[in-house]
Amino acid sequence: MVNLAHLIPLFPFLAFTANILFGRKLKLSSALLSIAASTISLGLSIYTLILFLSGHGSYTLCKWLVFGKASLDIGVIVDPLTCMMLLVVTIIGTLIQIYSIGYMKNDPRFSRFFAYMSLFMSSMLGLLLADNFIVLLIFWEGVGLCSYLLISFWFERPAAAKAGMKAFITTRIGDTGLLIGVFVLFFAAHTVYFRDLAGLSSTEPLFIAAALLIFCGAIGKSAQFPLHVWLPDAMEGPTPVSALIHAATMVAAGVYLVARCFGLFFAHQPALIWVAYIGAITAFFAATIATVNNDIKRILAYSTISQLGFMMIGLGVGGYSAGTFHLMTHAFFKALLFLCAGSVIHSIHTQDIREMGGIFQKMKITGATFVIASLAISGVPPFSGFWSKDEIISETLHNGHPFLFAIAIATSLLTAFYMFRLIFLVLFGKSRTELHPHESPKVMTIPLGILALFAIFIGFLGSPFMHNAFQAFIHIGQAGEAAENANPNYLVMAISTVVALSGIGMAYLFYILNNKILPQAIRSKFAFLYNLLSNKYYVDEIYDFMFIKPVAGLSRLAARFDLGIIDGAVNGCAKAVVVLSEVKAWIDRYIVDGAVNMTAKTVGLFSSVLRRMQTGYIQTYLLIAFLGLVVILFVKLI
Amino acid sequence: MSGLIQLLNSVGLPQEIVIKATFYPIACLILVFALLVVLSRNIFHSALYLAFVLMGVACVYLYLDAEFLAIVQVLIYVGAIVTLFIFTIMLTADINTGPIRGMIRRVLGGAFASLAILFILIRVIARTTWQAAAQNAPAISLEGLGRSLMSKYVLPFEVISLISLAAIVGAIVIGKGQKR
Amino acid sequence: MIPQSHYLALSACLFAIGIFGILTRKNAIGILISIELILNAANINLITFNKFLGSPDGLGQIFALFVIAIAAASAVVGLGLVIAIYRSAKTILVNKMDLMKW
Repeated sequence: MVNLAHLIPLFPFLAFTANILFGRKLKLSSALLSIAASTISLGLSIYTLILFLSGHGSYTLCKWLVFGKASLDIGVIVDPLTCMMLLVVTIIGTLIQIYSIGYMKNDPRFSRFFAYMSLFMSSMLGLLLADNFIVLLIFWEGVGLCSYLLISFWFERPAAAKAGMKAFITTRIGDTGLLIGVFVLFFAAHTVYFRDLAGLSSTEPLFIAAALLIFCGAIGKSAQFPLHVWLPDAMEGPTPVSALIHAATMVAAGVYLVARCFGLFFAHQPALIWVAYIGAITAFFAATIATVNNDIKRILAYSTISQLGFMMIGLGVGGYSAGTFHLMTHAFFKALLFLCAGSVIHSIHTQDIREMGGIFQKMKITGATFVIASLAISGVPPFSGFWSKDEIISETLHNGHPFLFAIAIATSLLTAFYMFRLIFLVLFGKSRTELHPHESPKVMTIPLGILALFAIFIGFLGSPFMHNAFQAFIHIGQAGEAAENANPNYLVMAISTVVALSGIGMAYLFYILNNKILPQAIRSKFAFLYNLLSNKYYVDEIYDFMFIKPVAGLSRLAARFDLGIIDGAVNGCAKAVVVLSEVKAWIDRYIVDGAVNMTAKTVGLFSSVLRRMQTGYIQTYLLIAFLGLVVILFVKLI
Repeated sequence: MSGLIQLLNSVGLPQEIVIKATFYPIACLILVFALLVVLSRNIFHSALYLAFVLMGVACVYLYLDAEFLAIVQVLIYVGAIVTLFIFTIMLTADINTGPIRGMIRRVLGGAFASLAILFILIRVIARTTWQAAAQNAPAISLEGLGRSLMSKYVLPFEVISLISLAAIVGAIVIGKGQKR
Repeated sequence: MIPQSHYLALSACLFAIGIFGILTRKNAIGILISIELILNAANINLITFNKFLGSPDGLGQIFALFVIAIAAASAVVGLGLVIAIYRSAKTILVNKMDLMKW
């Protein structure tokens, strides 16, 4: 059996090239090209999984950079994490691209959209297959680029353009940390290959520093606190983009990175605990903001941030399989949530939930799938989200982090609350404004249905019903990290179910029963808290004050310096040259010409004296000649 | 001079005194008339004064035992050349010329030059010790003069005749004027 | 009787007067007359030396004779020139003949 994994990123890349170059001619078939490419990649991913299960592992492709005796090789890593991620990315990617045919139908830049989507698929798949940090970084940048291109896809809107830049710059900060981390790691361990990370057991502080710096990259890409600010603004992009990149896949790259380097982190507990706490702060913080937001997509964005925090908590307390399990389930139901939101927006052309209501009547399929996804994310059994969330919560308790357990429980409560607030305000009740919703075309609703099936059933892979098959799978090839609890903790299951249901109940109370009174009453009573939350804790304003204004001021200063001093120096040189040339001209005119004129005048002076000798009288000449004779005689004879 | 001495001897006057007494006045007269020649405004007068000067010089030749030359001087110089001068003066109109501007500068220049040369010459004459012995050497006779002219110095003699011929022809050519 | 130097002094004075005349007179004929004076001064010199140095051939006198002949010839040609100039320029004053003046 031949190793074909390295071809997985190739097909989407070819689709990208074709769409970018010939997109204008292809029009609708550009979409088919992209979908075909990602379907091929899907097939190859399944094939790779089968190969892996039958014993084939990572392999090297070729030598790339050679430094004397050492060399950097490009290789492909084939292990459970990669196989799982490959399937997730290709399935969700293909479904979303099918959905986009309907969503982006009337867009003038239809084929370019699919070109960028294919480029993203290619970069993401390459990222998953990289076996060393350097190749990973190449694809890491690639997904960052695609994120920028797709967020500002409708670049005529200034908000979209700004959001694209914000995303790029914010993730850049994280990427710098990642780069430095790779350098530190290489300095300490003399390797950049992932396979070598497990063997490091030294407790040198450099390794902790490397791990923390690498985690910075994850903070940026996965929108953890404090670099989360780009994700809500990234909702300016088209909804399929939000679904694919900013829900299911790219933001998961950070979590993937931490999981990939889990050996490094696990051997240095301070770094790992740091991961958990950042995740916890992020999860709670984002959930609180989501409870008062009024934009359908932004609620989902903060939900993504919160769930990513959850995954970090899972990894941070040592639950490798818990974190990766939640990564998988989250990808499916978050993509579904975004696509449903997109369907709603496509139908009624507004994103503000205060203007919505009672849509369920007219959009049955969208509504049903929306509810299924919300149940999944809230952690209601037997949907997929319940199993993965429960894993994480039980890991926090099991590995002795009661504080993190409390945060996780609180966040689950809030998650259920805000998700069903969204559901009740959008789908049920009476319509608050004039709306004419209609169901979306089949090309959009079929992917919704498929994803809903995944959202319902994928969780069973890691449940006790299937003997924790997922956990076993994910640990193939790893020598004893956290000894995870195989026994289901029924108490924790019960607690999380109760929490989820009470969250739903609260939302029902607020938004269906005491429809207008209760929310407003709470709002006026806790006015300060409400303002703080609805302004997102003023984080953007703080950043603007602390960083953006000083940098802008500095760049203005630099511009003034450049204009004033450097340009001034150049202008000054020019002026000096002009002045110098004027001096030269003066010298030339008065001194040089003066000398020449003076010579002429002197000659004239002498000649005007001497010419009087030429009188024309012969007697004068005679006189002079005779005087000459007299002089000679005088000298000789006297 | 020997002839003169014989003349004086025959008269019976003491030689030296007479010679001395007559020579110096004649010399002064020569110089006076020469000055008049150069200083007179009237060119005709100049020519006449020249005649007197030339005659005076002839007398001086007598003192120097050159009787033949004295005669020749009077005949040719006074008789022919001065006549020639007077002819030409008559033929050209400006006899009397008034004072001209810039005369002073010229006179001063000329005076300075002539005084300078005079000074040099007198000084040389005074400083040189002259031989006194040959005063009594025998003078050449007219016959001897003729003889040497025809034998020893016949070449210059012939050349002189050529020069005279050339002068005549040249004067005629120059004086003939333009063909109308 | 009369020392040689007196004769020579006489000739020197006459020469000086002749030079003065050449350089001063503005009539062309006047210049020619002054040239005659100079020639005569030279003649006196020649005769004097002839007497006092004593030559058997009378060389001084012969020389003086030739000088007289030359003087005549030069006077002839000079006067011919003066006539010619008078005919064209209508004047014989040398201060009017300044074609070579600057």
